[in-house]
Amino acid sequence: MLSENHLLELIPGYALDCLSEQDMLLVSEHLSQCSSCRVELDSYLRIVNDLYLAVPEVAPPPDLKQKVLGNIPEKRARAAAKQPVSAWLRLRSLLRTAAPVWAYASMVLIVILAAGNLWFLQRLNRLEATTSSDFRVVTLAGTDMAPDASGMLVMSHDGNLGTLVVDGLQTLDQAHQYQLWLIHDGSRDSGGVFSVSKEGYGALTVAAEQPLNIYSALGITVEPRGGSPGPTGEKVMGGSL
Amino acid sequence: MDYNKLDDETLIRLVTHSKSEALSELYDRFSRMVFGLALRSVHDQNLAEEITQDVFMRIWDRAGTYHAEQGKVATWVASITRNRAIDILRYQRSRPEGSSLSLEELPFFDPPDSQSIEGEVELNSQKQLVRRSLSLLPKEQRDALALAFFKGYTQQEVAEALGEPLGTVKTRIRLGMQKLRQILEEEPL
Repeated sequence: MLSENHLLELIPGYALDCLSEQDMLLVSEHLSQCSSCRVELDSYLRIVNDLYLAVPEVAPPPDLKQKVLGNIPEKRARAAAKQPVSAWLRLRSLLRTAAPVWAYASMVLIVILAAGNLWFLQRLNRLEATTSSDFRVVTLAGTDMAPDASGMLVMSHDGNLGTLVVDGLQTLDQAHQYQLWLIHDGSRDSGGVFSVSKEGYGALTVAAEQPLNIYSALGITVEPRGGSPGPTGEKVMGGSL
Repeated sequence: MDYNKLDDETLIRLVTHSKSEALSELYDRFSRMVFGLALRSVHDQNLAEEITQDVFMRIWDRAGTYHAEQGKVATWVASITRNRAIDILRYQRSRPEGSSLSLEELPFFDPPDSQSIEGEVELNSQKQLVRRSLSLLPKEQRDALALAFFKGYTQQEVAEALGEPLGTVKTRIRLGMQKLRQILEEEPL
């Protein structure tokens, strides 16, 4: 039952992340337009945070700390040992191996269409001649969590328009979505949330608070449906702007 | 530097500068909470250890993403733990061989005055208040909340696990959360 067009009765379940996919979407869309329901959500998110306090603490095995601290240099060494492979080479390598040719042809088509959309939007917005050199393509690579993933951010040179296209990401369950983060001076701004098809393709029109060309890097994490205020989940892709 | 005298936020800042001693101190402060939450969620010692390792590696890798205005360090660490545990549980459930929940595995919130036999050091007043608030809920509401909170169940999955109609479970979760908010807002932490 809904109260005066608000979704007050769904918000407790939304905060607890236990609604059906349909209700999650309904609430997400409503929250983007309703400040009073966002206030309501904040109050329930505080309750969820309080629930952590109700969980009994349990001492982990004594040797676990050494395992944790021992993994740090290992991770560093692994990162240092990685050769800086260009994203294009990585994409070409993927083209030769994992997925069927039609899948990558589709991805190229999506990128072309995205660039085309931006091109026409710019023509409309600026009413001046535009060439393909007005676009910049930034490649993204999958992390260890998504080694087969690849993607591109097609953006206008003034940074006001951008479209993200990704491929090779796992389909998430109904309670989660991918979230794009734009990184500038150590802070992360959300660029929007998106889901991927069963084939692993996804696209997003980037909604940033500032022009995209002020950002130095971007990343994609797995977050609860509708997105998080800051990254909390697994980083699956990243790239430099 | 005496790391155990630094506050949580300072330790996080030091972790961003790759100070492993700061991570060591954060481990000393939060590993019992992380392991306890993981164990209560997955009911598997080895898996809980893996999650604990994962969580502290994420703190190491992502300390720069923490922003104090979004909440306490403890809450951030706990939410990373819960997300990780739920990711694993949902992945397990998505597999054809994914097992259903046995009665012994039903998660629960502990009553306020229980002394944990699992190694908990002490219960502070905040924990007591939250547990007391939970104890004021009818058991049916508390159990439905626990399944959603610890296991990441949807309302439909909670209904199936408890053998109750979906509408009943929706009402229990909503009323439980409303009641908790009412109690905790009257007596804020």
